[in-house]
Amino acid sequence: MQYYKTARGNGRYIGQTRSYTIYSDSIDSPVKVEKKPADIIPGELVFNYGPSTGGMIESVRIALSTPGEMIRSVAVDPTYKLRTIKLSGLSLKDAFILVERINGYHSSSYQAAFLKAVEDALLTEQNTGLDEELILQMELERIRSHLNVLERLCEPAGFGVPYHQIAQMREEVTRVISSIFGHRYFFGVHNTPKPSVRIPSGIVTRTKDIETRFALLFESLQDSKIFVNRLQGNGKIEKVWLVGPAARAAGYKYDARIDSPSLDYGRYGFEPYIEDGKDAFARFLVRGNEIFSSFAIVNQIISNGRPDQANLMNIHGTGIGAARVESPQGDLFCYLSINNGSVERIEFCSPSVSNIIAFEQSMQGNIFTDFHFNWESFGIWISEAGVEIE
Amino acid sequence: MRTTIWFLKGLRNGKKTEKFPKAHPEEPPLWPSKLAGNGTPECPTNAIEQGKWNAGKCISCRLCLPDYKPTGDQSSFRVSGKFPGILSRSFYLYPVDSGTCGACNTELLSILAPQFDASRLNIFFTNTPRHADALVLMGVYTEGMDQVISRAFEAMPDPKLIIALGACAISGGIIGKRPHLSKDSVIEIAGCPPSPYTILEALLRAREGKR
Repeated sequence: MQYYKTARGNGRYIGQTRSYTIYSDSIDSPVKVEKKPADIIPGELVFNYGPSTGGMIESVRIALSTPGEMIRSVAVDPTYKLRTIKLSGLSLKDAFILVERINGYHSSSYQAAFLKAVEDALLTEQNTGLDEELILQMELERIRSHLNVLERLCEPAGFGVPYHQIAQMREEVTRVISSIFGHRYFFGVHNTPKPSVRIPSGIVTRTKDIETRFALLFESLQDSKIFVNRLQGNGKIEKVWLVGPAARAAGYKYDARIDSPSLDYGRYGFEPYIEDGKDAFARFLVRGNEIFSSFAIVNQIISNGRPDQANLMNIHGTGIGAARVESPQGDLFCYLSINNGSVERIEFCSPSVSNIIAFEQSMQGNIFTDFHFNWESFGIWISEAGVEIE
Repeated sequence: MRTTIWFLKGLRNGKKTEKFPKAHPEEPPLWPSKLAGNGTPECPTNAIEQGKWNAGKCISCRLCLPDYKPTGDQSSFRVSGKFPGILSRSFYLYPVDSGTCGACNTELLSILAPQFDASRLNIFFTNTPRHADALVLMGVYTEGMDQVISRAFEAMPDPKLIIALGACAISGGIIGKRPHLSKDSVIEIAGCPPSPYTILEALLRAREGKR
């Protein structure tokens, strides 16, 4: 490991893998966190939402304890759709196909964390062309992911027009991704024997057009008192262990794009957008504004031409590596041990695990009608929280 | 002056819906689409065996390049069995996530985006299996969801269909086994994940009872 050292908690807390506690500057031995079941008060209703129900994209069970209207406690169970993905013993190339599918909607974040951990483990020099390509992937993914969260926030508010207009933009971004990378979800980009990344002509005009239309829509949503009232004061949380947009909405300048050496964002003049409202509205503002900063990075990269790709076909070697990247929901950490070109041990620390805890804590004291807005504002993905990596 | 009258904003945006399925897809993706080629290239899911490509097993990993190449053809689905004609007026879908990576879920939701607008074709989503005509099964088999899926299917009124959406639900893909109920599916929509074009065309064919 070139950057990460095994030491007592240096830097901010990121989360846990199966064997380690992850901080921004070090990895430490695991801390056993026992989750106490919520006390049941006589006469209190426990309302079970899910695991398969309308309004949720993925299968998850949420138990809401309430004495009436106010939510006293919330317990999220992401294990109904628990998948087991076996990676140990596989070649890097074969493991990569599975890594892409831990969270398919954010596959490029997982690709980047894995590829940078491989680079770190085998002590290969940073390839700036590859970094540029991964950053392009991740920023397009961030735009689409944030649009998805904003779209989902409009749905429970009954805002049909902005909901559909954002859905249209999300589909356009997906088509931009497809036209550059060949696949709508980036699958297989780094598995091809020949370069498959191409920058089609007119793509900058297209991204700038989406950005312009989004700017008008984002402004209109902020002008809408009905919409803003559903988000303001909803799901307030301020904890030092928050990650991603939830942390940046609570005033913390936490972002792997500025505090992780895995990918160099310095050359793009990137600065995180910070809010201090701590609520769903602040998270909405952070995501909306991050769409603009991501577009700025994307436009810089695609104006420069075609970046490089990784080629995992013939990589051999032995070593231990680690990498941390900023996925759209927050810090994504990958620990990887390679033995003669095969995966010996691999562990991920996914941001949705932290965001689920943040959601549970922020929901206390809110009312049931706040539930959907608050849930969507965290951008939680069960596929990466309810998964066992072997 | 800026207006927050969303109705007017909607009108100003104009019509964005494609003419698909009456016309060809405007922007079909290369991956996933039907593959064409020959030989027996490397394939982690055995989707290519003895020179034949099996759409239901293909995960679009691109390892078969350059022997096999994508054609852009989006009609990677299989419809079998007989369907009740009454579904042609309205077709209500109840999606269930057995164990997905999330990509199939979002591609299914994408058929509601203005470019596709499934509702103009009388295809809708419902929040309860009691109002559903078809159960859309996505993802691999998981122990926790097995009974949930069976109970959802039992709760659906007759006539009812099962649709297996995506490589995981059809064949287990590369992650695991397919869900138990998927063996009874009469519509298989291939892809990892299937594109909204493929999903929409398959649903239309199924709704109309055409093979």
